[in-house]
Amino acid sequence: MSLNIGKNKTIIFAAIPILIILILVLYGVISQVVALGSEPPKVVLERPDPKYDKCVRDTEYMRFHHWQLLREIREDVVRYGRRGEIGLNRCKECHTSREKFCDQCHKAVSMTPDCYGCHNYQ
Amino acid sequence: MDSNEGIAQKQQEATVPENLETSSLSGNGGPVVIRSDLDFIESLRSRCGDFFMKCMQCGTCSATCMIAPDLAPFPGKEMAWASWGLRDRLLKDPDVWLCYQCNDCSTRCPRGARPGDLLAAVRQESIVQHAFPRFLSRWVNQPQAVPLLLSIPIILLSLALILREPVEKALGITRPVGDEILYSYSSIFPHWLLNNFFLFFTGLVIIAVIVGVVSFWGSMKAFVPAGRDITPVKGLMPSILSALKNVITHENFSKCTAERTRQFSHICIFFGFIALSCVTLWVMTLGINPLISGNFIYPFGFWSPWKILANLGGLALLVGIGLIIRDRMRHDEQAGAGNYYDWAFLATIFAVVATGFFTEILHYVRLEPHRHIAYFVHLVFVFALIVYLPYSKFAHIIYRTVAMVYAEYTGRNNGTSSNEGGK
Repeated sequence: MSLNIGKNKTIIFAAIPILIILILVLYGVISQVVALGSEPPKVVLERPDPKYDKCVRDTEYMRFHHWQLLREIREDVVRYGRRGEIGLNRCKECHTSREKFCDQCHKAVSMTPDCYGCHNYQ
Repeated sequence: MDSNEGIAQKQQEATVPENLETSSLSGNGGPVVIRSDLDFIESLRSRCGDFFMKCMQCGTCSATCMIAPDLAPFPGKEMAWASWGLRDRLLKDPDVWLCYQCNDCSTRCPRGARPGDLLAAVRQESIVQHAFPRFLSRWVNQPQAVPLLLSIPIILLSLALILREPVEKALGITRPVGDEILYSYSSIFPHWLLNNFFLFFTGLVIIAVIVGVVSFWGSMKAFVPAGRDITPVKGLMPSILSALKNVITHENFSKCTAERTRQFSHICIFFGFIALSCVTLWVMTLGINPLISGNFIYPFGFWSPWKILANLGGLALLVGIGLIIRDRMRHDEQAGAGNYYDWAFLATIFAVVATGFFTEILHYVRLEPHRHIAYFVHLVFVFALIVYLPYSKFAHIIYRTVAMVYAEYTGRNNGTSSNEGGK
């Protein structure tokens, strides 16, 4: 009897990890097959404001480091009371659609920035 | 196998100078020549202390071992061979590899001779013996060689990174720096470079492994213990399958009584590595895999199933290696004494997991040069783990599996061909 329990336990020990691995591998393969052919998310700039001919920094910098810039600005305002020209609210003047301009890339890289908890950006 | 014969021979041995060839009468009347390899004894002593010299051949270890088949027991005979310095026999003996070092024998040995530690030491000698090229296994066995062994991957990887741009230009490889927003590692470690770098060295490892396995299989075949028939009882393929089934279900681990936690920690490490290999193999196919479309951004997002699998695998590895290190430090009698060779292996696995998670954390907190440096260190340890596999304790995944296949192949485990073993 005790031998039987031992044997079953052994099989369960091996079966659980195998099952987890199989499910995740299948899920991974299937989700990538489903996503097949869909384009990578692109930044959409819907309504460039004629007031501006370019962004506050060059495109390459903004692409990789916009979050750093926003964090610096936040630091300046919240900690030191320095309110400058640049702000999240003013991004909206050109980049009107949060869904197209911000969310689709953030979603693709599973980023959930907490900017929008306070800032109304629609 | 035959303890009466063993004791008789040992008494003979004790009366003559130890390094002389001694001959005594074997059971069937023919002369038996014993050549003691004193260097080998010395080398075993340096690995596991001289506890094994205390063995009085009572046979408790063979009787208590739950893994050894009733009609072909170990490690009693190995204890005698070790004291006699019978290097050839020990290194050709598949039984030393069937031992999982549960240490049921060590904890019950009335003399404290620690058979479990001895068999571990013999396995280390066996890895050195069959390793190709031999000098690498010598380095892996020496603490002084650690800076050398680590500087090899550091230099090779740095060289690859320095040569990256000229090679990219020469081969016309362009990396995607277009409209996609990427926060990947590919700006410094492009996919093609890592793939080819590790594929090349893994190829070398596979060659070394094949040489080792051929040499090991040949030496096991060349050694026919008295009273045992080694004609195959089943085909090679069924033997491989049943050995793999035993490996995957951890059946032998479940027989251990002294060191029970080892089954759980080994399961964690085993399946952790399998999970990580699945992810790695999938990522490696990027470029030739039609199932991966253009929106493949590496590293995966946190909730991507691949990332979940990799993180779970890494966690399992961390838990398993943590438990093993804890057990080794807490009670060495059950867990095995552990010499430099054991600790080097444990430390390498720990370093791989720790630097891996560290890199991931640095990635999430977006520390720009830091995450690349951490990733570099991670790759160095991954290289050490993979490339030194045939020479380090990691080689047990090869030699133990081969020995288990051989045991199945020759009917070692069901005792059918060892009917004379218990005479």
